[in-house]
Amino acid sequence: MADTSLSPAEARQSAERIKTSWFSALLYRSEALRGYLLMSPTILILTIGIIIPFFILVAMSLWTRDGFGFDTTLTMANYARTWEEPIFGALLQRSFWISGVATVATILVCYPMAYYVAFHVHKNKMMWIILMTLPFWTSYLLRVFAWKVILGYEGVINSGFMSLGLIEAPLEFLLYSQTAVIITLAHAWAAFAILPMYVSLEKIDKSLLEAATDLGDGPVARFLRITLPLSMPGIIAASFLIFIPTTGDYITPALLGGPDGAMIGNFIQLQFGPVNNWPMGATLSIVLMLWISAIALVFLFVTKKAQDKIA
Amino acid sequence: MDVVDQLGAVREGKLSRRAFTKGLLASGVAMATVPMGARQARAAGEQATYFTWGGYDIPELFQAYQEKNGELPNFSVFGASEEALTKMRGGFVVDVAHPCNAGMPRWVSTGLFQPIDTSRIAAFGDVIPSLVDLPGNDAEGGNIWMMPFDWGQTSITYRTDLFELEGEESWDMLWDKRYGGRLGSLASGGDAWWCGAIKAGIDFENLDSEDAFTKIAAVMREQRPLIRVYTDDTTTLEQALSSGEMAAAMTWNSSATLLKSEGIPVKFADPKEGALTWVCGVMIHKDAPNIDRAYDIIESMLSVETGKFMINDYGYGHSNAKSFAEFDAETLAGLGLSTNPDDILSAGHFQRPMTQDWETRMNETFEQIKAGF
Repeated sequence: MADTSLSPAEARQSAERIKTSWFSALLYRSEALRGYLLMSPTILILTIGIIIPFFILVAMSLWTRDGFGFDTTLTMANYARTWEEPIFGALLQRSFWISGVATVATILVCYPMAYYVAFHVHKNKMMWIILMTLPFWTSYLLRVFAWKVILGYEGVINSGFMSLGLIEAPLEFLLYSQTAVIITLAHAWAAFAILPMYVSLEKIDKSLLEAATDLGDGPVARFLRITLPLSMPGIIAASFLIFIPTTGDYITPALLGGPDGAMIGNFIQLQFGPVNNWPMGATLSIVLMLWISAIALVFLFVTKKAQDKIA
Repeated sequence: MDVVDQLGAVREGKLSRRAFTKGLLASGVAMATVPMGARQARAAGEQATYFTWGGYDIPELFQAYQEKNGELPNFSVFGASEEALTKMRGGFVVDVAHPCNAGMPRWVSTGLFQPIDTSRIAAFGDVIPSLVDLPGNDAEGGNIWMMPFDWGQTSITYRTDLFELEGEESWDMLWDKRYGGRLGSLASGGDAWWCGAIKAGIDFENLDSEDAFTKIAAVMREQRPLIRVYTDDTTTLEQALSSGEMAAAMTWNSSATLLKSEGIPVKFADPKEGALTWVCGVMIHKDAPNIDRAYDIIESMLSVETGKFMINDYGYGHSNAKSFAEFDAETLAGLGLSTNPDDILSAGHFQRPMTQDWETRMNETFEQIKAGF
C-alpha cells in the first residue's frame, strides 16, 4: 500500500486517510468515477467550448434577425432561405470545388513524399519527417502571406518569368483567383496529408510485396494490388483532415481569393460581421456541417466499396 | 507526497497507479488554472484599448499618451464600422472607439457609450465647432458623444502615368472598361455603396428608397467584373497602385498622400460629381475599464503634434484648428484640405446617418453583389 519506499511514515498516514474519508472510499471502489474524475478537465472544456456553443448555434439558427436583436420565435425560415436563394448553394458548391481540388492536389503531391520516406529511407527517418514538416513551424497566416508574395503581380513567379522573357506582362490570374486559393490550401495543409499516409505506408508488411513479386506482379500491379489498398486508410484520413477544415477556410480566400474566390467561410463571417445577421450565420454554419458530414459519408462508402473490390 | 518522492518512486519502479493518477489530476487542474493567474498579474499596469480603423494604430498619433503613460495604448483594428459595432454589441469592451458621423447615432442608440466630459479635455477649446455640431451629436440633446478627430474624403487615387483621363476626373474612372481588372475598391459598403450612389446620381436624401437600392445595386453590379480586389486593407490598395497592378482605386486621402511621398505618380481625384466626405471621431465605451487613460487617448489625438502628422503624412483634415497653422493654403489645397472644413465637406457629398434597417439591407445587398449575385 506504500506510495513510495522513500517515506513509509507518510504512506501509512495516507492509508489511514483512505479509511476515514468516505469520498476516498467511494473513489477507491468505483472505477468509473475515477475515470470521469480523470477526464473532468477535458470534459469541462469540451462542454464549455464545444457542446454548449453547438446548442446555442442550433437554437440561434432557428431564430430570425430583428433589427439589433433577435426574434426568438422558432422558425425554419433561415433554412428555407439557404435552399431558395441561389447565392448560398453557389457558394457552397464553390467551396466544395475549391477544397476538393485542393485535397486531391495535396494527396497527389504528398503521397510520393510519404512513399519515399516509408520505403526508401532507412536511416534518420525521424529527421526526414521533421524536415518535411519544417514549413509548418511558421504560422498559417505567414504562409498565406508568403504565397501572396510568390503569386503577386510583382511576385517571385511573375518577375522570374519576366526576366527570363517568357511573358511580356505579369500573369494576373495567379493572385486573387481560385487558383491562388487552391495552391495555398494545398501547400498549407500538406503536413496533414504526409503524416497519416506515411504511417499507413510504413506499416505495410514488406514480405507481402516480395510475395507479390515472386508470384509474378510487376511494379505497377504490385503497387495497385498491395501498396495502394493497404495505404488506403492513410489516404482516407488525410482526405478528411484536409477537406473538412479547408471547406470552411476563411483567411486564405479572404486574402488571396479576390471577388471570385470567396468561399462559404467568408460569407459566414460577413453574417456575424457587417451584415449583422447572426441567425443566418448560424444556419449557414450548420448547413455547412451537414453537407460536409454527408459528403464524408458518401466518400467513406465509395472508398469502402472500392477497397472491397480491389481486395 | 511531494515531487521528489514521486521521482524516487518512478526510479525504483514502484509508483502506484493511484499516485500516478493523482499526479495526472493535479497537472490537469494546474494546466486549466494557469491562465487565470496570468491574467490577474497582467491587469495591474494595463493601458487603455483603442478600437480603430486599420492605419490609425500607429505610434505617431499617441506621442503625448506615450510620454504620460510610458507605453502605447492597446490597439484593436476593424475594417468596417458596422463590423466594429457588431463586435462591441457582442460584448467586446474597449475604452475608446473610432466611428464616423454616418454611424454615430446608431452607435449611440445601442447604449454602449457614454457622453464625453469636455471639461476633461484641455484642447477642446481649439476643436473646430462645426465638426462637433453634427446631427446626433451636440446638435441634439446637448450631449457630446463623439469627439471629432479626422475628416476627409473618399475618392479615387489614380496613377497619372497609367490612367489616361477622358475629359474631367469623375467617378466614371472606376467604371472604365478599358481598365477592367486593374481597378480596386474598398470592401466596406460604408464607403463603396455611398460612392455608388454618387455615381448613380442619387441624392443622399433619397438613399432610403426602393428606387435608390435598385439603381445603386445596378451600378455596383456593373462595376464588379472590373474590380481586381475589394479590400478593407488600404495597404493592399496602396501596394497594388504602386506596382501598377491597379491603375485606379477607391481610397481615402491617406493612400494618395502616402504614395506621393514615396514618389509614385498618383493623384487624389476631385471627381466632377463630388467626392464622398465624412467626419470621424472617438467615443468612450460606457464600461471603459481605464477611463482616465481613455481621456489621455483623446487628448493625445487632439494634440497639435498629432494634427500635423495627420495633415502632412496622411493628408486628412484634423479637428484641432491650431494644427493647420503650419501649412499654407496652397499645401492644404494640394492635399484636398482647407482650414475651414465646411468648404471641403459641403463641396462633396457629406455622409449622413441612416437607420439600422437601411444599414443592414445595404450591407446584405452589397455583400451579395461582391460575391457575384
